[in-house]
Amino acid sequence: MNTFGSNPGEWAAFPPKRSGNVRYRVVESDEFMTRSRANTGDMASDIDRRRFVKAASAAGLVGLAGCSGGPSGDGSDGSDGSDGSDGSDGDDSGDGSDGGDAPAANVGMVYATGGLGDGSFNDQAQQGALQAEEELNISFQESQPEEVSQFGTFQQQFAESSDPDYDLVCCIGFLQVDSLSETAGSYPDQDFMIVDETVDADNVASYTFREHEGSYLAGLMASLLTTQDFSAGGGSTAGASTNVGFVGGVESDLIQKFQAGFEAGVAAGSDDVDVSVSYTGSFTDPAAGREAATAMYNSGADIVYHAAGNTGTGVFQAAQEQEGFAIGVDRDQSITRPDYADVILGSMVKRVDTAVYSSIEATVDGEFPGGSNVALGLDNEGVALVYGDQLGSELPQGVRDEVSTAREDIIAGDVDVPSEV
Amino acid sequence: MSAADRARDALSRLVDASATERVLISTAALVLSVLIGAVLVLVAGRMTTCTAGEAVYYFGTGFCYDPVVVFDRLFLGALGDPLSGSWSPNGQFAVTLRETTLLIFTGLSVALAFRAGIFNIGTQGQMVVGALATALGVLWASSLVSGAVGTVVLIPFGLLVGAVFGGLYGAVPGLLKAYADANEVITTIMLNFIATGVALYLVSGAFKDPNSAANQTVPLPEFAQFPALLFGARQDFSIVALGFGLLAVAALYYVLEHTAFGYDVRTSGVQPEAAEYGGVDAKRTVVASLSLSGALGGIAGAMYVMMVLGTFQTGIPAYGFDGITVSILAGNNPLGVGVAALLFGVLKSGTTVVQFATDVPPQLVGVLRGLIILFVAMPEFFRLLARGLPGTGSKPEAVATDGGTAGDRGGETDE
Repeated sequence: MNTFGSNPGEWAAFPPKRSGNVRYRVVESDEFMTRSRANTGDMASDIDRRRFVKAASAAGLVGLAGCSGGPSGDGSDGSDGSDGSDGSDGDDSGDGSDGGDAPAANVGMVYATGGLGDGSFNDQAQQGALQAEEELNISFQESQPEEVSQFGTFQQQFAESSDPDYDLVCCIGFLQVDSLSETAGSYPDQDFMIVDETVDADNVASYTFREHEGSYLAGLMASLLTTQDFSAGGGSTAGASTNVGFVGGVESDLIQKFQAGFEAGVAAGSDDVDVSVSYTGSFTDPAAGREAATAMYNSGADIVYHAAGNTGTGVFQAAQEQEGFAIGVDRDQSITRPDYADVILGSMVKRVDTAVYSSIEATVDGEFPGGSNVALGLDNEGVALVYGDQLGSELPQGVRDEVSTAREDIIAGDVDVPSEV
Repeated sequence: MSAADRARDALSRLVDASATERVLISTAALVLSVLIGAVLVLVAGRMTTCTAGEAVYYFGTGFCYDPVVVFDRLFLGALGDPLSGSWSPNGQFAVTLRETTLLIFTGLSVALAFRAGIFNIGTQGQMVVGALATALGVLWASSLVSGAVGTVVLIPFGLLVGAVFGGLYGAVPGLLKAYADANEVITTIMLNFIATGVALYLVSGAFKDPNSAANQTVPLPEFAQFPALLFGARQDFSIVALGFGLLAVAALYYVLEHTAFGYDVRTSGVQPEAAEYGGVDAKRTVVASLSLSGALGGIAGAMYVMMVLGTFQTGIPAYGFDGITVSILAGNNPLGVGVAALLFGVLKSGTTVVQFATDVPPQLVGVLRGLIILFVAMPEFFRLLARGLPGTGSKPEAVATDGGTAGDRGGETDE
């Protein structure tokens, strides 16, 4: 659509004005055409054309066959005698439950609107399904809705399908909650699971995360480091300046859980540390994240924590430029964003894959927790603070000890982390 | 005969094509696009890997994706499998008609502005404003009435609210164009951003549903939404809404072709100077046609709220931009918009079926969709182009007094 909008002038001035120059050139080339045509005749040129089409399509077919992809038999790559390998496949499935035609469970995945390849949320959900495919021998089918009204469409298609009959439909992301409430009511015999929201129905298992708990640890770590002189990789902190930052994506209850936990953790580390908070209004705008974080570093913040999806990439850029530190989110970003590993102290990982995997595992075991709400926190590895791949080993042992003590205190219930700002 | 002459000949044949010929040309274009798409699917099927069991075999070569299945799902799947005998009233066909309904309104919105020679890129923004106004207005009004009476009262009320606010938002670029000579393309694009931003601000703050994590307004009660008659309840489709859409198609056709206002609009689109010379109030026509265009966009928003979501949620899908393509596909003819919207609806809803039924990546389905639209739209596009070229068509060429030709003014989009 944008291509249309981008060049409106041409449309408005439609049709293009002709100039005498152009006309002259056209005539010239015409003469050439006519001359060559006079020799060959119309018929001949038709045959030429046909021959060309034939040759082109033959070449195309050969090219296609030459492509590296296409089907491959298990094990016997490239050989035409794939019948044999098929046969051996059948033997395998006869032996045991592994590698057979009938998977242990059929799972449907309905991703959030960002789609696969977002580097965090959906990819991690897929990770859980892939793990289940490998370890539990399930098979799964994916769908990537483009807009909110498609959530219901896909949920129903999975629920209605009888070939195969889906044992579980995984709905990723809190935006699916409204359509799932309806769909779950219409298909009481179909099991669903939803991540990040709760649906109150007997056939829905809800998985939420206690992001505030992991963020508390991130805040504690930041608070302890900013009050001392620490230098590693591409950044450093000055003990004199006691200031840290938080960059959020779109302001919502969910993201505020991160912020609340972070602030509580910072306060637990030291009373003197201030948190500056900024919401960029987008999860996909690295430039805005960079701007917000640069302002924080310039005003004395040493460490910035982000909960802003891809916007957080800008936070890492700013950290490198201003020689500060950053804390990642959702996945171990020192590994998923290796370019910035020298400024990423750690990441508050949110194990969406754990949620997906454990729901599938429960389905395979026949213990689907329908109607329940599982809140994944520090205790069951749903959230965690992982140290940076490159910087983790350089962190002072004292800081690590305090963080792991706080983690145990939270799990034991001795520390209560607020989930609201 | 030289190549240029032959091209000109072909173009004038295109301009003079009868309705039947044009239908045939479009059908041929559709078939051709499907064939090219099939080749693409095959090529993509060679670039990926799959197990032997999943593959299909053509010409002795194995392919991972089967184009026959893809196009079968894209078209028949979108129609809810009428041939298989398992057609269900709650099937995919309702989704197709739901998309069609919304695209009819955005398509009409763009088409009307086009006919007046105005490029309304702002249908999306007008739709957002209409949707938000409807969500809030109907929510407020739903506390006053209830039950079946509520439905009868609230739906027209909601459509009216959407139309009024969308219309007012459309009037802004109209006024700017008429009285400040501001290019409507720029103003409408900018107003889209403003509408989305302000809506996000309002819905994430003052009007946010406290019970939802999403940025949305409090959901409308059931009786304030379009009733599902006959079929489509699960798919959020109402045949009443489609009825309104068809009514709008007929009404706009009548207004454009058989009223004085429609004459003003059309002549302004064809030849603004001549229209003004002939007594058309150009400023008034610009403002009126953009307001009416905005009102149609606003109604699309109202439909989206009262039929599909039942609430206003940020991130309204790009129906407004799709409307531009629908309108061009229809040659800016209101009657054509109905057909083009149906084709678009089939493609949109078929995409989800393909994704569900095959392993073909959604991006590839998007490419196929684009191919089909491009191919079907191109003959019409060339017709518009050719009509402006001197020496094409059977009509004698009109020479304006300044030595230019009527075609130089361009923008003639009438059928």
